[in-house]
Amino acid sequence: MTATTFAWLVLLCPLVGTVVIALGWNRWPGRSAGWIGTAAIAAAFGCAVVTLVSIRTRAPEHRELSSTLWNYAVTSGLDAKMQILVDPLSVFMITVVSGVSALIHLYSVTYMQSDRGLHRYFAYLNFFVLSMLLLVLAGNFVILIIGWAFVGAASYLLISFWYRRSTATRAGLKAFVINVVGDVGLVLGTFFIFKHTGTVDFLKVFALTPHVFGHDSTDLVVACLLLGVGAFAKSAQVPLHTWLPDAMEGPTPVSALIHAATMVTAGVYLIVRMHPLFEQAPTAADVTAIGGGLTLTVAATIALVVTDLKRVIAYSTMSQIGYMIMGASVGAYSAAMFHLMTHAFFKALLFMAAGSLIGAMAGVQSLDRMGGFRRVLPFTFVSFMVGGLALTGLPPFSGWLSKDDILAFLDHRGGGFEILGVLGYLGAFLTGLYTFRMIFRAFWGEPVEEARELEHGHLAHADVPRNPMTGEEEDTDIGFPGPGHYIAEREMPMKVAMGVLAVLALIGGLIQIPGVDLGIERFLSTTFADSHLVRSEPSTASSWVGLAIGAGAALIAITIAYRVWVAEPGTATRVRERLPALYTFLANKWYFDEAIDFLIVRPALTVGRLAGSVLERTVIEGLLTGGAVGAVRVGSAAVRRWQTGFVRYYAAAMLICLSGVALYFLISS
Amino acid sequence: MTLSILIWLPLAIAVVAGQLPARITGRLAAAGSLVTLGIAISFLARFKLSHPGLQFVTDQVWISALGIHYKLGLDGLNVSLVVLGCLLFSAMWGTGERVRATTKLVVYTLVGSFFMLAGAIATGALASSQHGTPLTFALSSLQHLPLSHGSQEWIFLAFAAAFLVKMPLIPFHGWLADGYKSMPIPAVAVFSGILSKVAAYGFLRIVLPLFPFATVHFQLLMLLICLVSILWSTSVAFTTPDARLVVAYSSVAQLSFITLGIFSLRSQGAQGALLQMLNHGLVTAPLFFIVAALAARAGGSEKLSDMGGIAFRAPVLASLFLIVAFATLAMPGSSNFIGEFLILLGVFRAKLAISVIAFLGVVGAAFYALRVFIGAMHNRPRPRVASRGIGISDFIPMGALALVILVFAFYPQFGLKRSEPTVNATVSSVVPPRAIVASPVTPAAR
Repeated sequence: MTATTFAWLVLLCPLVGTVVIALGWNRWPGRSAGWIGTAAIAAAFGCAVVTLVSIRTRAPEHRELSSTLWNYAVTSGLDAKMQILVDPLSVFMITVVSGVSALIHLYSVTYMQSDRGLHRYFAYLNFFVLSMLLLVLAGNFVILIIGWAFVGAASYLLISFWYRRSTATRAGLKAFVINVVGDVGLVLGTFFIFKHTGTVDFLKVFALTPHVFGHDSTDLVVACLLLGVGAFAKSAQVPLHTWLPDAMEGPTPVSALIHAATMVTAGVYLIVRMHPLFEQAPTAADVTAIGGGLTLTVAATIALVVTDLKRVIAYSTMSQIGYMIMGASVGAYSAAMFHLMTHAFFKALLFMAAGSLIGAMAGVQSLDRMGGFRRVLPFTFVSFMVGGLALTGLPPFSGWLSKDDILAFLDHRGGGFEILGVLGYLGAFLTGLYTFRMIFRAFWGEPVEEARELEHGHLAHADVPRNPMTGEEEDTDIGFPGPGHYIAEREMPMKVAMGVLAVLALIGGLIQIPGVDLGIERFLSTTFADSHLVRSEPSTASSWVGLAIGAGAALIAITIAYRVWVAEPGTATRVRERLPALYTFLANKWYFDEAIDFLIVRPALTVGRLAGSVLERTVIEGLLTGGAVGAVRVGSAAVRRWQTGFVRYYAAAMLICLSGVALYFLISS
Repeated sequence: MTLSILIWLPLAIAVVAGQLPARITGRLAAAGSLVTLGIAISFLARFKLSHPGLQFVTDQVWISALGIHYKLGLDGLNVSLVVLGCLLFSAMWGTGERVRATTKLVVYTLVGSFFMLAGAIATGALASSQHGTPLTFALSSLQHLPLSHGSQEWIFLAFAAAFLVKMPLIPFHGWLADGYKSMPIPAVAVFSGILSKVAAYGFLRIVLPLFPFATVHFQLLMLLICLVSILWSTSVAFTTPDARLVVAYSSVAQLSFITLGIFSLRSQGAQGALLQMLNHGLVTAPLFFIVAALAARAGGSEKLSDMGGIAFRAPVLASLFLIVAFATLAMPGSSNFIGEFLILLGVFRAKLAISVIAFLGVVGAAFYALRVFIGAMHNRPRPRVASRGIGISDFIPMGALALVILVFAFYPQFGLKRSEPTVNATVSSVVPPRAIVASPVTPAAR
């Protein structure tokens, strides 16, 4: 069997998993749905590895394989086939996605075991993995858009998984609508490309691009900007990012899988996949690069003041994806993919550790309520530490090598891009600050009541479960979180999943070390063979200078964080009181939500209300309908008046009419 | 077997069934509709793909003095619609309620039909007088007898008025709210799922081939009406409190998209419109059934504010609703998406700005479809809600339609491949404007 056969099998596994779990929704006993789901994804990972191995056995110039199963919508010049593209980039992605997904499924089996919607959960989760794999394997724009929208739908379903929480349904709706805005961007971008190339097939489009589009031609720039809208909506980049923090309403493993490791990085994948287009349209690439740089700083500043543990990590995700978008836009493709991979490892790990911590807090997520968990949750603490250090980018953790790989490329490319590089180092400093703010506040300090109880072997349980955002009372039936809370220290599957990811977060960076071995770059070189940007790689020496600066920024940040939150507690409060305006600005998340509400949501609803009430009632009911009905009524009244019953009137009318007809024929003949 | 059986068999069954006791009537009607569906599918199976003209033609003289024939035939434009019609009728077996029409509906339809009758008579009469040929009303003959530009223009407007009222498109929808609210659900489902499409079909079958000059002349006007209609109906669907009306207005928005595709006068747009006619029927009918099921669980109220949390004890209903809702908002991966994609692609190539603005309707659809889904299924249950699972007799029609939606999602080509030759012939009869000025149009140029 060939590589493409196994790539199709990669898609088939989660599809079968979804259908099997969904159709047996009321039959699978206990946690069996979870094991079925995990097995399906593990099988997909197996097939992905086989694909990877089999594609590596081929000569580098024969590693782009396109495979078609059936005609999807082939009509009137459109050539949308059920088609996948198996090349090093997509194979790299399916391996990372299915691997991380399998671990998160494993974690979920115990983390979600007391939830009464367990079957629904695993059916959705399998469906998500299917969609994500379809997205990265897509061989043409139409299939890409399908995968793109499916991950959005799965994300919606899982954000509002606890559907009787109004906070969750509202967050889901917001995420979905913003993602549809992104879908529209993608579709319109495809139209512009199709207009010139006459095909939606990736390989054909890439081959035609240099011939049908001029350098930086208007249509191509518009097309790339529209693709960028899609990427920004999916990857939660400013200003289309407001859905991501709210998406934390979903169960924690969902945050780990969809809103950290896989789906939100789809925008990065898109830009990297479309690099032949973006390189031909540098104006659009510059815009997305600046957007990424902006996002990484904005998100990092907000993460400094947010107190909800999961939301801090969510803003951190935005910020890290900002790095990747920036890298992908300027031509640091393999560096961006490298960071995508290591970020998937350490961010999934951080969320899993956060889930364990939240379990120990009986569902409470506020950092204000946490403290002193270092001793009672040793495994969670170590995992959180590994994830945090990798995120901060301290040597030798994976995030250090991958993030600074992007920044070194920026500095090397020059031409104004150094400014973005500086922004990146500033972001690295802020990253260290907010990461260790989380760690110091949750694990250091005076142990809180929950931690003290756990020391006596007693896991905290709330008497009355409450929604952490609104304080509303909940029950634990379907549509609400289950009654159980779980910590990694006691649950083997959680421990295994976190342990594997911790090892990967620690050593995952070692496959690409400047001057030693550039594993990812070498593997992906087939995909980027047509690029003129990657040929100008930074030298090993300048890469190491970059690495040293990054490590320095991280170290300084950790030191400051230690002084602020451990050595001299109360410093943070003093700073906040000194700068109230800045604090309010950051705590309100730069007022993006308010701006969007004011500029888009309210006007749209007002127009709707106006159309529904005023226009419908006065214009349609009053004028048009009233007019037509009135005309019939007046007409019939007029005709009624003629029906007098007197024969002489009828005779007269007949005479008049007949003479009229006779006159007409006389004149016309 | 001729096509006549598709028309006369249901009528015969209706006449017979009406004489029998009520209990048997329902069963007989159900069996009859299933048999009709089977026959329709057999025609679909024997349909030849590459043939642009009519197949299975039945042609008999009806009123010879006026040149009126009884002529039936299938081609790429109608073959799938015929099957869809039979499918939807089969899907509502067992539910028989009397249809009470409101005055408004009668007046509107009457006025519309009057315009259409006038237009039809005028077409036949003027064609024979302008070309000096014997009187005929056969579409295939009239295609070769193009009218003068002035006549085309006013007859086009007469037909357009009839069709736009029938669909309805905004602002010709005055009967919509009252009409839909006073009808029982199965009648609404037929009305919206099938009858509304007759008008869209009429544009493709009658208006484009017979009045090519007027079609091009009024293209921009029609596109603008569609655009206004999309935006207006979408924004009403945002806020209206009534679940049934949300579905009704979403149906208006979809029909506006269909008409938009037809008047893009590009084969992609027309192909998309035709596919979307199928898809629209497949989602609208189950949506109305779902509204009925929801009302049954919300104390009889169809107001969204009385619903909520129904998914809690009705997971199967919620899953069906979810599938249909995603298809309604034309989520990529559904056949509806391919329909809208082709429509908007056609419009994009004809009038870029209109296509870009029409995309607002796509975003809006995501919002109102999920608004109904969430409002009914999610959040805390309202006081009058008593959720329960759906029974087998409700599940079968909805499940069958959902299954068809899913199959189409995997293979939209099924709906596209039959219509392509005919659609290309229809559109190419209009698009090269030089060809329509004087010389007779060749319908099967390809």
